[in-house]
Amino acid sequence: MIQHFVAFQAMKDDILNQIEASRQVIINEKNKDDPFALVVDGKALEIALRNDIKDNFLQLAVTCASVICCRVSPKQKALITRLVKKYTGKMTLAIGDGANDVGMIQEADIGIGISGMEGMQAVMASDFSIPQFRFLERLLIVHGHWCYKRISKMILYFVYKNIVFGLTLFYYEMYSRFSGDVLYDGWYMVMFNLFLTSLPVISLGVLEQDVSSDICLQFPALYQQGQKGIFFSWKRIIGWMGNGILTSLVISILNVYVLSPSAFRKGGQVVDIAHLGLTTYTTIVWTVNCQIALIITHFTWIQHIFIWGSIFSWYIFLLFYGALPPEYSKREYKLLIEAVGPAPMYWIVVLLVVVISLLPYFIYMVIQRSFYPMDDHVIQEMKYGRKVVVDDEMWLREEKSSRKPTQIGFSARVDAKILYLKDQLHRKKMFIIKSIANSPIRRSISTNPLENRD
Amino acid sequence: MIKAPMNSTSTQLQDPSAPGRYSKRPQYSRFTQQELPACKPILTPRWVISVFMLLTIVFVPIGLASLFASQDVVEIVNRYDDACAPSGTKSDKVRFIQSDASKTCNITLTVPKHMKQPIYVYYQLDNFYQNHRRYVKSRSDKQLRSRKNENIISTCNPEDKANGMTIVPCGLVAWSMFNDTFSFSTGKDVQLPVTKKGISWKSDRDHKFGKDVFPKNFQNGSFIGGARLNESIPLSEQEDLIVWMRTAALPTFRKLFGKIEVDLQAGDTINVVVQNNYNTYSFNGKKKLVLSTASWLGGKNSFIGIAYLAVGGLCFVLAVAFTIIYLVKPRRLGDPSYLSWNANPSGLASLFASQDVPKHMKQPIYVYYQLDNFYQNHRRRLGDPSYLSWNANPSGH
Repeated sequence: MIQHFVAFQAMKDDILNQIEASRQVIINEKNKDDPFALVVDGKALEIALRNDIKDNFLQLAVTCASVICCRVSPKQKALITRLVKKYTGKMTLAIGDGANDVGMIQEADIGIGISGMEGMQAVMASDFSIPQFRFLERLLIVHGHWCYKRISKMILYFVYKNIVFGLTLFYYEMYSRFSGDVLYDGWYMVMFNLFLTSLPVISLGVLEQDVSSDICLQFPALYQQGQKGIFFSWKRIIGWMGNGILTSLVISILNVYVLSPSAFRKGGQVVDIAHLGLTTYTTIVWTVNCQIALIITHFTWIQHIFIWGSIFSWYIFLLFYGALPPEYSKREYKLLIEAVGPAPMYWIVVLLVVVISLLPYFIYMVIQRSFYPMDDHVIQEMKYGRKVVVDDEMWLREEKSSRKPTQIGFSARVDAKILYLKDQLHRKKMFIIKSIANSPIRRSISTNPLENRD
Repeated sequence: MIKAPMNSTSTQLQDPSAPGRYSKRPQYSRFTQQELPACKPILTPRWVISVFMLLTIVFVPIGLASLFASQDVVEIVNRYDDACAPSGTKSDKVRFIQSDASKTCNITLTVPKHMKQPIYVYYQLDNFYQNHRRYVKSRSDKQLRSRKNENIISTCNPEDKANGMTIVPCGLVAWSMFNDTFSFSTGKDVQLPVTKKGISWKSDRDHKFGKDVFPKNFQNGSFIGGARLNESIPLSEQEDLIVWMRTAALPTFRKLFGKIEVDLQAGDTINVVVQNNYNTYSFNGKKKLVLSTASWLGGKNSFIGIAYLAVGGLCFVLAVAFTIIYLVKPRRLGDPSYLSWNANPSGLASLFASQDVPKHMKQPIYVYYQLDNFYQNHRRRLGDPSYLSWNANPSGH
């Protein structure tokens, strides 16, 4: 028993020494950009991952460009992933194809399973599955990038639109002595998040692209926008909430001041709660949908149908609801046709409120695009704004500079380059030898050897 | 705006359509591969300035038209509740209004400009919350619609029954009906007729207030809230009631009293005989009499005209400002020096940092290297022999 313990202690010390030595080597290395690779095998890993040594080990592993662990058990794979995740605090991705990778895949933040030779175990446990390893590049750089932008835009817009809608109800409470009278009809409120503003958001979240997929692959540096978290920072969240609050204020105040107390129509009629509610709600629907039209950068026919169709369906709903007998439609009976539709004031107010609400965001967008453009804006302009051929010199140069020289696979690339050069050299040699062999001088020398001797 | 190009898959190592090989590649469709033809608008300076100019061109005329329409409307507003009640404390006024004393009051109005008929007569109430939730709920629309629903009064509490019998129309809204009346005459004692027909919405008269419903047991309780109704006229013809039952949106509101279908000349004096019956004194409300014409846009409201002009003006200023900015400090479209990896080069990437030539540079162009924070003028550095070339880079000996 004690022997076992002593042997174990010796192994532990040995491993600790190795870790320290390797760390020293890295520190002493003059050129800081040189890549290091760490190779660990299963038995050593078992000891290195113990609680007292694991910090040293992880510190060393994290400074290396790549770490190769061989002969590890599935439990160790999962353990490493968990430790790296906790130690670095960064987003981890695990990819594997066999049943022994399942632990690792589930442990990582993003687990990718490869379906194929080793069965479907990894696929069933993973978040994403791809058929071949080479598709990982496309998954990350194209779909990961798009997904990040889509989700951040969608969440921010969703918060904005609900703030706009909800706050107008609260402002009205100030006018009704906080008694709880609701400005809008119950059915309006049901329709808001269900039909009138949901489809454009879905089209934004599913189909939005800032740049097309081949440009994503040519400019991998765009992926950094997701890594740096540019599009979903606190600044943006607060900005959108502020935009929502400001918009709701504008909508509420303008509708109240324009529509009352004097008449709003040629016939001298004045507004009552149904008219005010209808006009305010119409302005909200228009504003919110036009705002998403400003956010979307990639317009297909689907987006157009959803956005303008939502607005149009609001009027259809009003006509239909107003046509129901008064037992069901109560205050909204024939509201659009008889009372509000023929009043020019209604349409003018909608136009005014929509433009005023969207003006701050539009000005912000203009200033940002003109003087502080983001990477995808510049690349969009390079591709779509100019009439220059895509593969010109500047495009290629920017392409190259958007790729950071990587340290992964360094030696393999060096070896490949050497092999290539050797091959070229060999070919040249063979060519020269062949050309000498076939030259007329040589042939003449070889056929008449006696004459040369003289 | 250009259509997005079709893209080809960038990794084509294997040929899955080789004969005899079963391929699991899914059917290609533009939708699932997200290659639908798309429009990608780019916000160029040209678009920015066009949008602002377009807004200016659309908004300024609408603003001017609205402003002129509002200026054309002539409006006379006269507050009469303080003049028509004895001066004193609030409780004095409340006592007066609840007493049996004569409530007749005379006020004189002067017409400032020519008013074309029809001239709308409104009464305006301030600080009267017709939009309070309990008030709004206290009515029975079913009862108003038809006689057979006479006993559907559950929502009308507390004004549902008086002395054990149902009230028609029930509820607080009907009970608190406005009951001041006005009659108008010109200075020459010519009576001005006020039309009381057609002041409510047609859909209300036809569909919401029944022709077979007659007021019954109305204002018979211990508290009288407002007007009494003629029990022989069906509800669909009681337009004052119909107008009152349309609950207002805000605490300051006007309701149509009637229409005067005679022109009024500028400078005319109108004598109004007011029956000041309605009690707004207990809650510090105000009562005003309003005479107003109407334009194609409605009543006198210059707010919308001014708002449109303000926005149009702002857009014009922005268009001019952005034009100047774009001329003074232009940014070339697609200028790669704005890319983040060029603007902040790091490490090896700086070797590939791009610099576009900002203006035409005539030869010879001098290339310098600049060092910052390097004290070549330090006392100990001067004449340091370790910088001699044969010491700095010793050859193999």
